[in-house]
Amino acid sequence: MHPCFVALGLSLFPELVRSMDMIGSAAIMWEGRVGLESEVAQLQRGDLDALSALLARYQNRLYRYLLRLVREPAEAEDLFQQTWVRVAEKIRQYDSKRNFEAWLFTVARNLAFDHLRRIRPESLDEPIAGMPGESAATRLASAERPVLDGIMERERTGRLARALELLPVAHREVLTLRFEEEMKLEEIADVIDIPLSTVKTRLRRALDRLRKTLETNYPGEVWQ
Amino acid sequence: MSDHEKIRELLALSAADALTREEEEQVMNHIRTCAGCSAELENWRLLATGMRRLPTPQPRPLIVERARAQAAVRFAEEAEHRWHRIVMMGVILFAWALTLISWPVVRFVTGGLLGMLDPGLNHAWVGFAIVTTVVWMTGGAAAVFLSLQQRRERSLA
Repeated sequence: MHPCFVALGLSLFPELVRSMDMIGSAAIMWEGRVGLESEVAQLQRGDLDALSALLARYQNRLYRYLLRLVREPAEAEDLFQQTWVRVAEKIRQYDSKRNFEAWLFTVARNLAFDHLRRIRPESLDEPIAGMPGESAATRLASAERPVLDGIMERERTGRLARALELLPVAHREVLTLRFEEEMKLEEIADVIDIPLSTVKTRLRRALDRLRKTLETNYPGEVWQ
Repeated sequence: MSDHEKIRELLALSAADALTREEEEQVMNHIRTCAGCSAELENWRLLATGMRRLPTPQPRPLIVERARAQAAVRFAEEAEHRWHRIVMMGVILFAWALTLISWPVVRFVTGGLLGMLDPGLNHAWVGFAIVTTVVWMTGGAAAVFLSLQQRRERSLA
């Protein structure tokens, strides 16, 4: 083979691999979306297997979101159960044109905020004062990290989780939806039911506040 | 507010991938020439990476199973309620149809073909209205009673 063709092939190869990767990712996303739509449609028709499939798909993310909102594992577990009961009640009213994920998180959010309003109305306005020694997030952070992760990194993660807990619920919520749930801003706006510009403002303020909290409590720390 | 300050305001959102394409380009152009903003963006990125790497707490399997069971029960109840509503609507429509049809029949039996054309606010009509009302009220009371009993049984189960 002519060396020029070999050189051309080698230079194009990384681009080719990258394109194949992108196509592969898009195909997986499409497959996931089609699978989700089919599960939701099946559930609307009354198929309980679809309920199990949806529960398996969203159990960790939904629980994490609720835990970030209410901070107490027992309350998050209770709300987690209530959310799925509410889903069973309302699934027939769900409009399939709407993003199911946003709908599901809105259901969970409404229950969580009703709960907070009833149990701890003050938590909707202000963060709790001071840094608790051993909070729920710390316990979870330290319990969930793989063993091989460094102690330092685990400590940093624990501190970050603790600092997150100190933020007001509105800030915790927008941060978890953006960074942990990896929702787009439009999806966040849909879940919280606020304009896109407000989501941006809230996200920026939440990050500012998180950073200030970290800098105040752990000066000189690197937060990766 | 200077351009530098405006860009600085955008750095946190840049790390959160929350800027429009134009805003992102502005930020990238600016940090090429501003070491301070470049370092600041790096700090925000570290924080954003830390946030993305927070561990995912998982619900206990018992809770997941309980949620599944409760949702399944609720789902079955909803289906039952829907079926009851459909049956109730059918029965009500049927009852109304019978009621409306029975009046001309009563008129025909009591007064013949011509009697049907007469509005006839007489004893037969009053009697018919009383019987119809009693039948409907009895039916309604029975429906309420059955519904209450079913609810009581469900709460005891």
